[in-house]
Amino acid sequence: MTTTRIDAPLKVTGRARYGSDHNLPGMLYGHVMTSTIANGEIVAMDVAAAQAAPGVVAVYTPFDPLTLRTPTTPMLGDTWVPLQDRTVTHYGQPVAFVVAETYEQARDASALVEVSYDERPARTSLAGNLELAEDAPPGLDGEPSSSVVLAEGVESIEDALASSPVVVGGRYSTPTQNHAAMEPHSAVAHWDADGLTVYSGNQGAFVQQADLAAALEVDPSAVHTVNPFVGGAFGGKGRTSVPAFLAAAASRALGRPVKAALSREQVFTATANRPETLQEITLGADRDGTLIAVRHDSWCSADTDRSFVEPTSATSRVAYRTPNLAVSQKVVPLHIPRTTFMRAPGEAPGSFALESAMDELAVALDMDPIELRLRNGSLGPAGSDLQWSSKYLDDCYRIGAEHFGWSSRTPTGRREGDWLVGMGTATAMFPALRFPTTTEITLQADDTALVSVGGSDPGTGLLTVMALLGAEALDLGPERITPRLGLSAYPPGGMSGGSTATASVGSAIVAAASAVLEELQSLASAPDAPFAGQDVTYADGRVLGGGRSMTFGELLSALGRDTISAIGSAAPGEEMTKHSFSSFGAQFCEVRVHRWTGDVRVSRMLGVFDAGRIVNDQAARSQLKGGMIWGVSAALHEGLEIEDDGRLANGDLAGYLLPVNADIPEIDVQFVQHPDTLHNPVGARGIGEIGVVGMAAAVANAVYNATGVRVRHTPITIEDLLEGLPS
Amino acid sequence: MIIRFPVYGLTSQHPPMPHHRLGGHAARKRIPVDISLEVNGRTENLDVEPGVTLLDALRERLDVTGPKKGCDRGQCGACTVHVGGRPVLSCLTLVATVREPVTTVDGLATGDALHPVQQAFVDQDALQCGFCTSGQIMSAVAAVEQDVDDVREFMSGNLCRCSAYPNIVAAIEQVRRADAVV
Repeated sequence: MTTTRIDAPLKVTGRARYGSDHNLPGMLYGHVMTSTIANGEIVAMDVAAAQAAPGVVAVYTPFDPLTLRTPTTPMLGDTWVPLQDRTVTHYGQPVAFVVAETYEQARDASALVEVSYDERPARTSLAGNLELAEDAPPGLDGEPSSSVVLAEGVESIEDALASSPVVVGGRYSTPTQNHAAMEPHSAVAHWDADGLTVYSGNQGAFVQQADLAAALEVDPSAVHTVNPFVGGAFGGKGRTSVPAFLAAAASRALGRPVKAALSREQVFTATANRPETLQEITLGADRDGTLIAVRHDSWCSADTDRSFVEPTSATSRVAYRTPNLAVSQKVVPLHIPRTTFMRAPGEAPGSFALESAMDELAVALDMDPIELRLRNGSLGPAGSDLQWSSKYLDDCYRIGAEHFGWSSRTPTGRREGDWLVGMGTATAMFPALRFPTTTEITLQADDTALVSVGGSDPGTGLLTVMALLGAEALDLGPERITPRLGLSAYPPGGMSGGSTATASVGSAIVAAASAVLEELQSLASAPDAPFAGQDVTYADGRVLGGGRSMTFGELLSALGRDTISAIGSAAPGEEMTKHSFSSFGAQFCEVRVHRWTGDVRVSRMLGVFDAGRIVNDQAARSQLKGGMIWGVSAALHEGLEIEDDGRLANGDLAGYLLPVNADIPEIDVQFVQHPDTLHNPVGARGIGEIGVVGMAAAVANAVYNATGVRVRHTPITIEDLLEGLPS
Repeated sequence: MIIRFPVYGLTSQHPPMPHHRLGGHAARKRIPVDISLEVNGRTENLDVEPGVTLLDALRERLDVTGPKKGCDRGQCGACTVHVGGRPVLSCLTLVATVREPVTTVDGLATGDALHPVQQAFVDQDALQCGFCTSGQIMSAVAAVEQDVDDVREFMSGNLCRCSAYPNIVAAIEQVRRADAVV
């Protein structure tokens, strides 16, 4: 199936209203102010000048706060709420909220607030503070963060490596990264007799509803969150944002609507980032390339609350078959902005390290990197008896190699004039997950249907997928389905996160459709109904029985009904005891490195993905291309530089480099489609994150192939290459 | 050690400024400016302070919310509009300086008929989250009108974090092909 995005016409005309696009009568503007130290106590704040400034209505600080309680959810744990205490734990922490009649007045007045700090020395370097490392807590799946699997008779991972004929190893590092969604975190909040309404982009209306209800100590039924359009999220809008908490609380206190948005610079410090990582990997193999031992030790940065762990070592648990495996994961609390999930958390930086190391092993073995990977393909996660439900990674590599012209690659690249040209590859994997989800389907007398869920489509294409899967489940054309999401009034589920939405919502749609069609047929054959006492069936939008048929709309009209509705729920179940589930992919890229300047240009990219059934071909390709470009960005562009005192050296969109159009070549995406109905009834596994996975390594491996220079960190810069370029 | 300096709320990346540099700020006399502005074919009258940007005037005074604030620094391009037919960054343009008609993405379609560039963005899936799209489209319209040699280079002032870049290029090429046929 393929169809253009249902919300595209609204988005190309400016009619799609995102959170801060809402303007309400009598609305005030709030401006957040942030700390200029990374560690210490706020001793005093002088707000007199700000309060006296034109248009200012209120100035909130930790000395005169808006009361907010800390929300806690099973998935995210505690969510930090601003202005509740005077301790500063990172540079750029929100410390005040100025509310005024206009945006300019709030912004200008915020510059008049004076803060006195008792400053303490800050710890901001991951590499410089490894002595503070703590064992990471178990992952969300309950897996311990460190584990060892040894073959019978092997005493230790050290022994396994020592007895391996070929051993490679290295220390890899990846920087702090920011989601940098184009929409800064923002909110418009107002209160009326029905309670609180908040317009604020997030990854699940029901998640934000629960956070705000807990923070404001009101019943969730009195909180209405509205965000059908979300300007990008990538994990950075899973938690409710600072402007949403503050706008909601200030609106309640002031009795007027309040709009608040973070500045772009504040997004880098007052939301949360992907942690920095250090990873040590050692691979031991036989001379034929068969892995004997894998060791992967990781450290990641964290804020002082240790609110998130970037589980990079987990990559080595799933990628390759090895009789001996030791992984560990440590976390280092620092005075840095908070850390959180970012597109392929763990897998993205973890695969950079592991897939670079695999390339190094291929070089040491003088073996084709694809052959090495195929030889060691995993059957399931290490230490688990549950094999992958469906795995066609070998096909991905075979098809990819053929289309990409891999056979023309030489171990030392090739030269075209002043350009050194290399090819690289890497494996991509991302777990296939789904979350408990409820959807509602409403059949209407005009022969159309509504499909509703409280989740979000921050560019993923979920809205269009809902129309396609709703159409399939109701045996109707997709033009007769109106998909609806982004309101807390809709049933909970379909959160944008973990590449889960299609499998989660799709499964719930199957259940809801079954329930509503059952209800329809039972109404049809009830006493006094058009098919009273008859056996009826349903197909193609019609109820059939006794040799005649009616559309469901005609039937509803005959019954005097406008609509009938049913909800359906779906959740992971027995399948989890039978198989392990993952998507797979083979990433390819070609780079051109200028022999005199060290400039790296990606010239071609191909990704071949085994992600089960693809529901909407066009949007799926777009999302995977976007993910692959994120891999290029990680490899060559982005990285947050945190200085010793905690300031960000490049915390804006001029300094935090992202690829622009001219950086990106044509990209090819292909699918190996084997619906995975062992995982869910739709057969689709997630594709939101796997596009990122492995691509940074594929770029680094291509750079090595072109130049002979192995760079074990990202982003790879000209300075990393200049010295080693062949003369 | 106790240090004492103002929080610098506007651009947190700047070094702290000495207190006296900001002291006169609140006391500064504010002189509103009367402005008459043509936006998407309508004449709008505004009474704003001189420091108000075209972007904030459009979004917060006129409820024209197609142009987006992605950075407020001219770094992302999401606020791109046309002034007198030329693409400009509305976040770096003071509204009081605007003399020529303003066109935003909201005013590009003719009734229900999408502009060919808008239609091409739909056809080629040249958007995902859609937040940068209004700026991308205004730059893309300029790229088509100016018949630029290097589309990728021309479009590089508009960031797209969803990274729809190849599809944006395809959308522009679709319009250029159609124009070539005509």
